Amino acid sequence: MISCENLVKFYLDKKVIDNVSFSVKPGEILVATGPSGAGKSTLLRLASLIENPNQGIIRIDDKEFKFDSKNQQKVREQFPKLGVVFQNLFLWPHLTNRENILLPHTTINTQEANEFDNLISMFGIGEFIDKYPNQCSLGQRQRVALVRAFLLNPKYLFLDEITSSLDIEQIGILLNYLIVLRNKGVGIFLITHFLKFAKIAADQILFLENGNIIEYGKKDILITPKTERLKSFISGLDNIII
Amino acid sequence: MNSFEILYNYRADFLVGLTVTLKLCLLVWGIGLLFGFLIGYAGSKFKYSVGLPSKIISFILGGIPVLVFLFWLHYPFQFWLGVVIDGFYTAVAALSVINTFLVADIVRTALNNFPNQYILAAEVCGLDKKTIYRKIQLPIIIRQILPGILFTQVAMLQSTLFASLISVEEIFRVCQRINSSIYKPVEIYSALAILFLMICLPINGIGYWIKKKYSRDFSEN
Repeated sequence: MISCENLVKFYLDKKVIDNVSFSVKPGEILVATGPSGAGKSTLLRLASLIENPNQGIIRIDDKEFKFDSKNQQKVREQFPKLGVVFQNLFLWPHLTNRENILLPHTTINTQEANEFDNLISMFGIGEFIDKYPNQCSLGQRQRVALVRAFLLNPKYLFLDEITSSLDIEQIGILLNYLIVLRNKGVGIFLITHFLKFAKIAADQILFLENGNIIEYGKKDILITPKTERLKSFISGLDNIII
Repeated sequence: MNSFEILYNYRADFLVGLTVTLKLCLLVWGIGLLFGFLIGYAGSKFKYSVGLPSKIISFILGGIPVLVFLFWLHYPFQFWLGVVIDGFYTAVAALSVINTFLVADIVRTALNNFPNQYILAAEVCGLDKKTIYRKIQLPIIIRQILPGILFTQVAMLQSTLFASLISVEEIFRVCQRINSSIYKPVEIYSALAILFLMICLPINGIGYWIKKKYSRDFSEN
């Protein structure tokens, strides 16, 4: 289980994450949502140990990482057990999509080769697998980044706005695959603005604003929100006057 | 006599001059690239102790014409030290110093501006430091610096002509000497231009080929 306790993060003097605690169990999907600038991506970066919080404790299974002003040492040994797909993808531009996916695998066994073929066909990236990232559309690059992360068989997955450039069909495929991963015991922390996706995929919802948790609980909170803020957030589209 | 006849008739002199030019050039390239890479790398690691001084030196050298620097090293500097050094070695020293700091500048800037997100993505994928350096950093950096390095090396080759002014028997001085005996400036200097084209065009061609093969446009739409 990944458990984050009292995470605090400052950028210069601004507190962007304010005493946030949550957990992601294996076989569970936690969806973080909230308005732009709420601190969702920062929270993902902290929980995945990409960035250190200024204060707080992060436990990953039996490992505990305590951060304060004295301990700000980079933690990298948890990768690739923790898989991350960044909002900006960060595919290596000098490598083809195939090389991007396979570079982390010095040797590839039969099972991985089958998994590779399966993912390539599932996400329909065979057509542009030997192209360079900048020769592909954003949606295509997003799928390559996802396959790169999936093929590493992470125990926990952190996905930042991964549906932003996918078409409805691809979102459906991704959703199905995330459910397969969840059933295999992978813990998933996912950021999305796509509430329908959240309603289907999530086991838990974390609604964040200004670095604070406004609501956190089972996915029912998207149907019956307890706070006015979440109610107003999810009814955003209803208020549009045409 | 046209340019080609001059090239043929004085081929022995041209060959001597060309040999000196190429020797000079190879030394300037070798020293400049070796120390340039080292200083550039050290400058990116130790930003204040190495990077800043090397930046200042390359800024100063960039403001001094090559010829002035060469003359200064050949006359006042040697007078001040009380030594007389062969013009060839003075030219090697002057041009190598310039090349070193130009190359260091290119390398340091590329290393400092390396997009860290590519390293982060590699760390997240579980790649070790050695693999990240070999497979991610180095190829991207080489692609970035290659055009600048090649341009600088061609410029260094052309700068070797200044060595004639401190009595180095390189190709330009050979041309001047031939001209003083037969006075055919148009043909002689055209012959020199042909010779330089013969040397520079393959280098530029190789540079263009390498650039086309390895330095693709990375920008994403």
